[in-house]
Amino acid sequence: MGFEEVRHMPDTVIDTYQDQMQQLKGSLPGWDSARDHALDRLRTIGLPTTRGEDWRYSDIKAIRSTAFGLMKTPARNPEVPEALCDGAARLVFINGRYHEGLSDLGDLWQAASVRPLANHLMANADRVSEMRQGGDGINLLNTALMRDGFVISIPAGIEIDDPIEILHLTSDAEGTSAHIRHLIEMGEGASATVLERFVGDDTGYWSNSMLQARITEGATLNHVRLQEEGANATHTATAMVSVGAGGNYHATNISLGGSLARFEARVRLLVDEANATVDGVALAGTGESHDMLVHIDHRMPNTTSDQIFRTVADARGKSSFQGKVTVATDAQHVNADQSFKALLLDRTAEANAKPELEIFADDVKCSHGATVGELDEKALFYLTSRGIDPTKARQMLVEAFTDEAFDRTGNDALADGIRARVADWMINHTGRSND
Amino acid sequence: MLTVKDLHVAVDDKEIIKGLSLEIKPGEVHAIMGLNGAGKSTLANTIAGRDDYELTSGSIEFEGKDLMELEPHERVGEGLFLGFQYPVEIPGVSNLNFMRTALNGVRKYRGEDEVSAAEFMKLVRAKASELKMDPDMLKRFVNVGFSGGEKKRNEMVQMAVLDPKLAVLDETDSGLDIDALKVVADGINAQRRDDTAILLITHYQRLLNYVQPDVVHVMIDGKIVKTGGPELAAELEEKGYAEVA
Repeated sequence: MGFEEVRHMPDTVIDTYQDQMQQLKGSLPGWDSARDHALDRLRTIGLPTTRGEDWRYSDIKAIRSTAFGLMKTPARNPEVPEALCDGAARLVFINGRYHEGLSDLGDLWQAASVRPLANHLMANADRVSEMRQGGDGINLLNTALMRDGFVISIPAGIEIDDPIEILHLTSDAEGTSAHIRHLIEMGEGASATVLERFVGDDTGYWSNSMLQARITEGATLNHVRLQEEGANATHTATAMVSVGAGGNYHATNISLGGSLARFEARVRLLVDEANATVDGVALAGTGESHDMLVHIDHRMPNTTSDQIFRTVADARGKSSFQGKVTVATDAQHVNADQSFKALLLDRTAEANAKPELEIFADDVKCSHGATVGELDEKALFYLTSRGIDPTKARQMLVEAFTDEAFDRTGNDALADGIRARVADWMINHTGRSND
Repeated sequence: MLTVKDLHVAVDDKEIIKGLSLEIKPGEVHAIMGLNGAGKSTLANTIAGRDDYELTSGSIEFEGKDLMELEPHERVGEGLFLGFQYPVEIPGVSNLNFMRTALNGVRKYRGEDEVSAAEFMKLVRAKASELKMDPDMLKRFVNVGFSGGEKKRNEMVQMAVLDPKLAVLDETDSGLDIDALKVVADGINAQRRDDTAILLITHYQRLLNYVQPDVVHVMIDGKIVKTGGPELAAELEEKGYAEVA
């Protein structure tokens, strides 16, 4: 665009973040100039508004107008939830900081390189630039204020079967924010499942995380996100992924918590035969807003992508999906599919779907479909006419509706663990009938 | 077992059932025959508790309890079963999960323990085998991709698993070829005992060749106009509704 974007953000907020950034200087080796650049850019463009196309469904006015403090370690460690299934390792973050005592690296360190961000930057001064990221104001603030995270490198040919869990716990964090950054590197032919889980209490905090992944030739990364933030939390997360020849990125985003939750996946398919499947389920409880944006960039021929999104919204809840697929000139024989279905449990619920296809090659197959509906009254009556009580019947139908989106988590035990969390959500949000 | 007294039912403010009375005792099989639009399915759905059917006057008692005071799932707990004319497809819910949840729902209502997975599998496999259902169909989503005959057979398996006191079967014979009709008839006859009752709702006499009713009612325009023994069905088949009524 030929004009500078207008910033809708008070100077006082930016100044507060500038002060916080100054405090953080020196904490991550070689990162200070990245912080400066990001904050300068943020001062110009500000945090996103609903006037921009990418954020039209998520109004973060509250975050734009108020500066969040730096998240502090809570006086007491929060309760650590049970793992969803057997894991290869568990990395625990509390209020944005890695907690070694609660973490368990298992045998993973023998097969792979797993280390805190600071150690990675210290040991690899030449690689600092790889982690620099542009992006929108949310991403810039992450760059400016990031303090902690993990770098997981799976060497060529190594296959890790059980999930590597990164658990983010937040408690007693009213008015503060955490900006975490993880980096996942998949060597040639390597495969692994990374589970990011977010759990928080009812304080009004902001969790803003980024995950960068580089998937090289023939490697597979299953990236599963289970978002169960507290009821008053804002959750913003971005995955920036590049996929090499014959590589696979499989993402499954399960969004169950937060008052405003958003996940963005930006995937670049850089070499022939690279594949991405990005799936998601969002369950928006009363008054919650869940937003998912996927951008898959087919740069080369014979790349494939597939997206399955299922969302459910209760009273005054809102679920939104934006699926952008771009196919570069000469990226022939691309195959891209997208399916979005929304279920509204109440007349006041809202669903938004916006497929965007930008295709510059002429020999491609791209499809997309979107539907919005209510629970099928006939199916409900059929279930209750067999002795199933109406609450249970509604749960069964909602679970059935979302189930398709869990098929590609790459690990059956993990998929079952997630199904159990979704079932729990249903028990706590029984939904309303439409009468 | 079932006592219907001067029943009036309206759908969308239009009266469909216009003063119907019926008494079914344990051990009996009743057939209600009538043309399309006579109100047969409305009667079945009212007994099962579909909420868009408004009972404007009269009463339905099941074993002395006022059915209208009970939710549909509670009626099943009391021992009622409705076989659907058009069984519903439910993608994403397996037949096994569906039937097990149903059986446990009924057990919970009766204050009984839930059925164990092993116990349930044994039961459902036996019932499926009796009704010649391919065991693979138990794993498939409820009625999804089933033929008309397979759907009706699935209804019979559900009935056998739930073992109701009173089964109301709404046009269970419609759309079936002769082999499927026999299987369905076998399912109905297996459910026929001294302590159970069956209400068959049908358009044609065909099913009654395989399931001999004790009592036959002719329903026209929301009322039972004639009641008799099994010979009434044959008479209807021969002479048509207009002449018999």
